[in-house]
Amino acid sequence: MARVVLASALSRWLPEASGKPTGEVALEVEGASVGEVLDGLFARHPNLRGYVVDEQGAVRHHVAVFVDGDAIRDKRNLAQPLGERAEVYVMQALSGG
Amino acid sequence: MSEQILVSTRKGLFALERANGAWHVASKSFLGDNIALALADPRDGSWYAALDLGHFGAKLQRSTDHGRTWSECAVPAYSPDDTVITGDGKPPQPATLRLIWSLEAGAASQPGRLWAGTIPGGLFRSDDFGASWQLMRSLWERPARGEWFGGGYDAPGIHTICVDPRNPKCVRIAVSTGGVWRSDDDGESWSQTANGMRAEYMPEGRQSEPNAQDVHRMVQCRAAPDRFWVQHHNGVFRSDASADDWREIANVSPSVFGFAVAVHPRDPDRAWFVPATKDQHRIPVNGEVVVARTRDGGKNFDVLREGLPQQDAYDLVYRHALAIDASGDKLAFGSTTGGLWTTDDQGDRWQALDARLPPVHAVTFAGG
Repeated sequence: MARVVLASALSRWLPEASGKPTGEVALEVEGASVGEVLDGLFARHPNLRGYVVDEQGAVRHHVAVFVDGDAIRDKRNLAQPLGERAEVYVMQALSGG
Repeated sequence: MSEQILVSTRKGLFALERANGAWHVASKSFLGDNIALALADPRDGSWYAALDLGHFGAKLQRSTDHGRTWSECAVPAYSPDDTVITGDGKPPQPATLRLIWSLEAGAASQPGRLWAGTIPGGLFRSDDFGASWQLMRSLWERPARGEWFGGGYDAPGIHTICVDPRNPKCVRIAVSTGGVWRSDDDGESWSQTANGMRAEYMPEGRQSEPNAQDVHRMVQCRAAPDRFWVQHHNGVFRSDASADDWREIANVSPSVFGFAVAVHPRDPDRAWFVPATKDQHRIPVNGEVVVARTRDGGKNFDVLREGLPQQDAYDLVYRHALAIDASGDKLAFGSTTGGLWTTDDQGDRWQALDARLPPVHAVTFAGG
């Protein structure tokens, strides 16, 4: 079981938020790897898939996924294993203007 | 609902309405988010907004209550084996949706039909109001697609879709950079039709290749659908033959460079352009914002400037940011520095919107 935290820039696109500002959202999701946990997240919130990964399954260029404080090693191969009680933090890479 | 103007900007979608003759910002959607373009569907009055969320990708939203509420649609998607191959030497890349760069409604007889042109160059069709999308593989798999290249973006894109008002199975698209393509069978087969255009930027010997033409924007006259106008990277072109062949209109004043073009819905000889200096200097000629208008098929051009900034103005008008309404009298255009101007008399006099908008990507009239 991992604790997944969605940064507010992402959680505002959950259907119930209707694009309005909201805070961080935390969920408990089953899974032994980054990919399994993200799939569990997308099963619960199907529209988030296209926000976090592209249609080829890679984490988007401007999205960052941290596991227990460290960025994931490979945005295309999400088999990276997770420990018990891992925290998976999904955030936007910092950019803009 | 009276007529509205939808203005897609770097920081939200703005709906303009009129009170006492003057347009004003009546409502805002997605404030702070990057909106590539909007479609006001004349069949059912719904609005579509194509978002370009830098972090989270290209998205599509639909509103059936004029922007009060929105719901998310599906977006066009490429398959794992799809690859972007370009003709300018870039290494092949996995195809992923970068941008919805054109969005058009089908005919009244095709409820739910939408066409979407994308960067990196796929054309998609939906028959369920955007709930699902189908890549037009007949075009995507043409070897000639691998010779397209990006014009301003890393990958090529389809920025114009013209559904023929006589026969909605006849669809023409324009590509930057990849010429003009036509299908007569709902997108099942395609032919290249940018014959007669000239690409000054190509090596000698390749300048007349139809597939190398950087069309910036193409429009079709609704009442005379054999007539098309194109603003091209290095000139203006006109077709009297259903976009199958083209001739250059070289005398556009003050410049033949620009992105946007509009055609009158009933008079095919009337067209409008917003020229810029040239490709290496994408600013108005002499810092004066002007609109070039022809009323005789391109023999002569009026340079319209009344009500437009005529000193130290560096506004550039993107390809989707000049619009004409169904009457043919009203036009509106918006600029990269957030200026927006409207006219009620085909451009003789312009009025500036009293607002400082974010950079404008696209402008379209809605309702009426």
